[in-house]
Amino acid sequence: MTSFHFDIGARARNAGRFIGRVRGELLRALSERKSEGGLSQEALARKLDTERSLINRQLSGESNLTLRSLADLAWAMDLEISFELKKPAADAGQNQPIQLQALQAQTFQDQATATSTVRHGQIRYINGAARQVSVHVVPANSELGQPKKSA
Amino acid sequence: MKTIEELVAANAISRIQVEMHPRDQELRLLYGTPDFIEWLGRLAEGAGPERRLGEATVAEQVDDLINTFLSGQPLVYMKQFRSIRAEKNAVWEFKTPDVRIFGWFLKKDCFVAVFGNWADVIKDHDLYRGYRISIRRMRREWGVDETLCVQGVLPGDVLSL
Repeated sequence: MTSFHFDIGARARNAGRFIGRVRGELLRALSERKSEGGLSQEALARKLDTERSLINRQLSGESNLTLRSLADLAWAMDLEISFELKKPAADAGQNQPIQLQALQAQTFQDQATATSTVRHGQIRYINGAARQVSVHVVPANSELGQPKKSA
Repeated sequence: MKTIEELVAANAISRIQVEMHPRDQELRLLYGTPDFIEWLGRLAEGAGPERRLGEATVAEQVDDLINTFLSGQPLVYMKQFRSIRAEKNAVWEFKTPDVRIFGWFLKKDCFVAVFGNWADVIKDHDLYRGYRISIRRMRREWGVDETLCVQGVLPGDVLSL
């Protein structure tokens, strides 16, 4: 086997990567705040009047984040949240849309009798990609990333 | 074995890929041993720990981790990856809320995954030392020398951040 394709399906992929992106954004934001001015998990916990262990679990993903706790963490780090839903837009020079890739892969699988690529589960056609969710945490005073709609 | 090509040709390691967004390109390389790939296969079929902490399923967590790594996005040192011990030819760990993945960097931005397991099992049974020793022994048996091991233990030594 020369390559292994880890495929969990479009819906699961979308959910997992969104959750991961929110968590990663929080981790990076706190890391930057810490290097800028020494804002620690302990300081965050004091500001939010909660336990440091809860902050740690939330940031490490071991405790679920509610929208309120996400807003609280952003507030405690003096950051604002930018949130918008938008239709996916193709950039010039980007790879083929995922739908086309899946179609071609299916065609290839139908035609080929042997391949070195292993996929788990069926290739799924992505029709749920009509909406895309993006969340960025940006400094409250930043002119960059000003949201079209703020939440 | 002295080159990545030789390791691949001997079926000691194989490339691991995930579906990426059309805007993204693979900026890093991920390989896995046959045992690790078998573990990934079980994950894709729904295997998971008895008690899950993360909101995402373990398969979703690992897919996100692989996508983040391959697409060259930043990973937070200590929170998302770290070396098990600060030493030459270090063994490195990647972390999700419920999963730990162990291996080493062949080159900067080029990782070989050797073991994957549930975070709670690793912590409960303190498996860090065992995984570290197993990986070092496996490299010796394969004849992987220092040319296929990143020597540094700083985050910037192994990942373009």
